[in-house]
Amino acid sequence: VIEFEAAYYDGRTSARKPVHVRGYTLVIQIVGEGLRLDVPLGKVHVDPPVGGTRRALHLPDGAQLQTDDHAAVEALFPRAHALEGWVHGLERRWPYALAALVFAAAFAWWSAVDGLPRAAKIAAGFVPATAEAKLGEQTLSFFEGKVCRPSALGAARQQALQRRFATLTAGLADGYSYRLLPRDCRGVGANALALPGGAIVITDALVKLAQSDDQISAVLAHELGHVRYRHGLRMALQAAGLAALAAALFGDATSITSLATTLPTALLQSGYSRELETEADDYAFQRLREIGLSPKAFAEIMLLLEKAHEKKSGGESKDYFSTHPATAKRIQRALSAP
Amino acid sequence: MGLPSTDRGAGTSVAGSEKRHPVEFTADTGEYFRIWIVNLALTIATLGIYSAWAKVRKRRYFYGHTRIDGESFEYRAKPVAILKGRLIAVAAIAVFYGVGYVAPLYQWLLWIPLLIGGPWLLVRSLAFNAYNTAYRNVRFRFEGTYKACLKVVLVYGWLVLFGILYPYFKHRLIRFVAENHRYGTTRFEVADFKKPFIGAYANAYGLGFVMIAALFGLGFAAMGTKFPLLFFGGVVLFYGGLFLLFAYLRARTTNAIWNAVRIGPLTFESALRARDMIWLYFSNLLAIAFTLGLATPWAVVRAMRYRASKTTVVASGPLDGFAQAEAQQVSVAGEEVAELFDIDIAL
Repeated sequence: VIEFEAAYYDGRTSARKPVHVRGYTLVIQIVGEGLRLDVPLGKVHVDPPVGGTRRALHLPDGAQLQTDDHAAVEALFPRAHALEGWVHGLERRWPYALAALVFAAAFAWWSAVDGLPRAAKIAAGFVPATAEAKLGEQTLSFFEGKVCRPSALGAARQQALQRRFATLTAGLADGYSYRLLPRDCRGVGANALALPGGAIVITDALVKLAQSDDQISAVLAHELGHVRYRHGLRMALQAAGLAALAAALFGDATSITSLATTLPTALLQSGYSRELETEADDYAFQRLREIGLSPKAFAEIMLLLEKAHEKKSGGESKDYFSTHPATAKRIQRALSAP
Repeated sequence: MGLPSTDRGAGTSVAGSEKRHPVEFTADTGEYFRIWIVNLALTIATLGIYSAWAKVRKRRYFYGHTRIDGESFEYRAKPVAILKGRLIAVAAIAVFYGVGYVAPLYQWLLWIPLLIGGPWLLVRSLAFNAYNTAYRNVRFRFEGTYKACLKVVLVYGWLVLFGILYPYFKHRLIRFVAENHRYGTTRFEVADFKKPFIGAYANAYGLGFVMIAALFGLGFAAMGTKFPLLFFGGVVLFYGGLFLLFAYLRARTTNAIWNAVRIGPLTFESALRARDMIWLYFSNLLAIAFTLGLATPWAVVRAMRYRASKTTVVASGPLDGFAQAEAQQVSVAGEEVAELFDIDIAL
């Protein structure tokens, strides 16, 4: 016999009646003031356990017993709820919770590093080029006027740049409408930026930093790689995927939570990943060869950018180097490119 | 002590001495953390299918730890019902984006069922949640009809177009939601809460205006200085301001609503303080951001504990005289769809 104290509710009103319950093999007996009930055990439905919350036993006709005597309920219904009983066992012990933490963290890491980029690449294949171009326009309108003004370079210099760009993009026929936009951008420094759809912004500072026009071609070729492989779109999709994932995993609490979890993810995602940079580099080397230039120009301009970045110790500005970290490896690859 | 009082006892109990029952929240942060992380891991491992079970377990934990007069609430939804709703919601979203991809020109047509269906989702979701919430083995119910909800939306919804009149619409909608709830057979009565509710919005609008003016002033003053600093400063100030207003509104409107509700012999005292809420939300935000989400359980438990600590039930009669209503089943699809689209239905 398993005995425990409980509160009885008849299912018709909110009145509470303290009762004493005796559990036998086939039946439970409920005894209270003016109440004596025998209920077959098979007709009692017990809720799965959750933490230390009070257990509810649902009786026929909507009546209910509530009790804090967990041991008695477990003894009476040892096999109720295989799945949730097992989950409850995991939830009760710290080692399992820590294992779950490691698993969830590993999954989060994998999604950010491998899963999401892969999914974004696949998803990008479904986005029409017109939609991609629209994304580029929006990004551009954010920069125009507020950050960047039309280039202060002379008309002849600008024309020379446009000719270089035309040589670079000649005969690509990949569906993108390439445009070179020389701009004077405050606080940005020497930088170039590929927008989804084919617009490529180059800052006056970068043009002035370059020692030869081949070096400018090298940077532009790299940016073409970003456009062709749809890196901007892929990054946008990746960020959206990350936000959706964060919302799905943590968003059960309050709306504040989702805001808080997107904040660090946004911070993590400034600039392209190393994989995408390598992809764009490889394209640049190939393209430079095709138009009869040497990938060495790329190595030269990277070294120049690195020096320029180091000279400005108060690195507040978003120059090319801060968004395109030039590792020794990248320079090495440019020098040894076939 | 005899058998419980009759069905009619609830609304008309004799006004004796008032009894105050502070709402207790007894959840333990460590215990909830374990429940949260284990269910999160299982959700990942099952590619999201387990999420329905996870949701029910988390909710049952919180309901079970919310107590009035020593008695806890119950959440009774079945995980399978929630899973079905989630599948329907996912299918609906897939259709929406599918049409957008195949025939983008016709996607706008889908907004029509969405607009007409919105009130339906709201009503379904409220009914599902109410029906699956019980206290002392008596279920809550929501009896608002689609027609009545659509009427509120059609009659007052256009006010949204005039941003400044939006609080009036919101107030009508909340009134509709609150008034149609029942505890057993006992109606929720809602006194006029227009004044404090709209007053809170008026203050928030005024404050928002001042903040925007200050931002512009700052922008002009900082003209010519370095761009990124100014830009980030502006962004931080802007979001900080929004945050402040959000927390303020949350505190004031919650108080306004609950202080107007009466259920039979029960009234409520909600005394949330704006500055507490601002600090609570702000510290939660920081904690969650800096722990990459790990502090979520702590933050949630903390917010709920604060909310409970500032809420008191004032009973002018016994709590055991509420009668149960006859059973009726409520489908879950509405709630799940509403949740995925994030319609704010918090009371």
